[in-house]
Amino acid sequence: MTNNETTLCDEKYFRDFYLKHVQSASNFAYYKCGDSEAALDLVQDAFTKIWENCSKIDFNKAKTYLFTSITNLFLNTIKHQKVVFQYAQDAQDAPNLDTNNQSPEYILEEEEFKQKLTRAIASLSETQREVFLLNRIDGKKYREIADLLGVSQKTVEKRMSAALQILKAQIENI
Amino acid sequence: MKKEKQILKWLNNDLSSKEMEDLKQSEDLQTLEKIAHYASQLEVPKVDSQAALEKLQFKKKPKVRTLNFKTFYSVAAVLVLALTSGYFFFYNINTSIETQIAQRKTFTLPDNSEVVLNAESKISFDEKKWAKKRSLTLEGEAFFKVKKGQTFSVKTTDGIVTVLGTQFNVKARKNYFEVHCYEGLVSVTHNNKTTKLPPGKILRVINKKVENVEDFYSKNPSWILQESSFIKIPLDQVIAELERQYDLKIKVDGVDTSKLFTGSFTHTNKEIALQAVTIPLQLSYKIEGKTIIFYNYGAN
Repeated sequence: MTNNETTLCDEKYFRDFYLKHVQSASNFAYYKCGDSEAALDLVQDAFTKIWENCSKIDFNKAKTYLFTSITNLFLNTIKHQKVVFQYAQDAQDAPNLDTNNQSPEYILEEEEFKQKLTRAIASLSETQREVFLLNRIDGKKYREIADLLGVSQKTVEKRMSAALQILKAQIENI
Repeated sequence: MKKEKQILKWLNNDLSSKEMEDLKQSEDLQTLEKIAHYASQLEVPKVDSQAALEKLQFKKKPKVRTLNFKTFYSVAAVLVLALTSGYFFFYNINTSIETQIAQRKTFTLPDNSEVVLNAESKISFDEKKWAKKRSLTLEGEAFFKVKKGQTFSVKTTDGIVTVLGTQFNVKARKNYFEVHCYEGLVSVTHNNKTTKLPPGKILRVINKKVENVEDFYSKNPSWILQESSFIKIPLDQVIAELERQYDLKIKVDGVDTSKLFTGSFTHTNKEIALQAVTIPLQLSYKIEGKTIIFYNYGAN
């Protein structure tokens, strides 16, 4: 495709690109920093960067560039903040594993589990967490994640595995 | 986690249901299942993509540069400096013309109106705005020959004199405010009261009191012709005028300075001028260095 370069500089294409990826980019940034406002700032800055460098970016790699930019911006700007993840207040949006079991004990138990889990997720390293949550929340395959992050699938799998072990250990220990 | 590969495959949805059964048999998946389930329930901030895109538009066109505060402050400082000095240069400093003691100046305003400034007087006006607004400030005494045109106003501490095009004299001294109209119609606002002066009329305010003054018939103020003339003016005002015309200090010794004086003195000869003031009032004077002392005739 010879006209790739021009397409991203075209405002119409850029808008499409933006609307298509802004949510997943925001999710990704959120997994990294655990702060929704900071996440959106990162995303906006990353898109701005893409717009400014539109002529230099291969349209096919724009998505990877977007995620890489977010990673870099994150590393540059946000120095270790306290990461906080939350569950939706509405139980409909976050059903328990066993939806048939409505006993108060069970619900309370699950509630506690969620609390532990959020703390455990916060304790993961940022690379482990992004892989784990991209897989869990966005339902992405390891292959896709690898492409987004510009690393090998093997690396993604390693990070995922490490994340699972840490989470399991933390939850079972407490 | 012995079956790491299988678990990874499971979470990647790459496991068939049979393989899943096998995995469940061989490993205790309870915790992991919960982790897998509840992690995917985590709330993710929803982005209003359209709104966010619109916000980006503003950032997009000009390249976003982070503001260096050092530069920002120095630029701001320079701006403030430039603006304030600009303000003083271009707005506050009006054109002003001044005369010293015993000095007189004649000059023309931007619209060719003529002004004769008597001794120790000052006029200031905004030359740039003159075309739009003929307005000036006067401290002291001046004679105006105004070209026809828009309202011409003279502001003094005691009142405002406005005309369209005429000849008039304004004397605004300490405790003394006097306007002579020589031609046309002059409107004088003093203490929020406006008086119209036709030619030959005088408005005089001494010590904040408006006085009745007889009409006059001269074509020009006498001081233009090197003479100061007075009609029923308190002596202290006459002395003040003497001091202005000749560089003098005049003191009085037992003399009532509220005495009224009618007459005139010349600006060209000090001796004659002093005599012209003292003799009609039955006074004498003596010179002590730069100071002149007035005293009652025969008292010494």
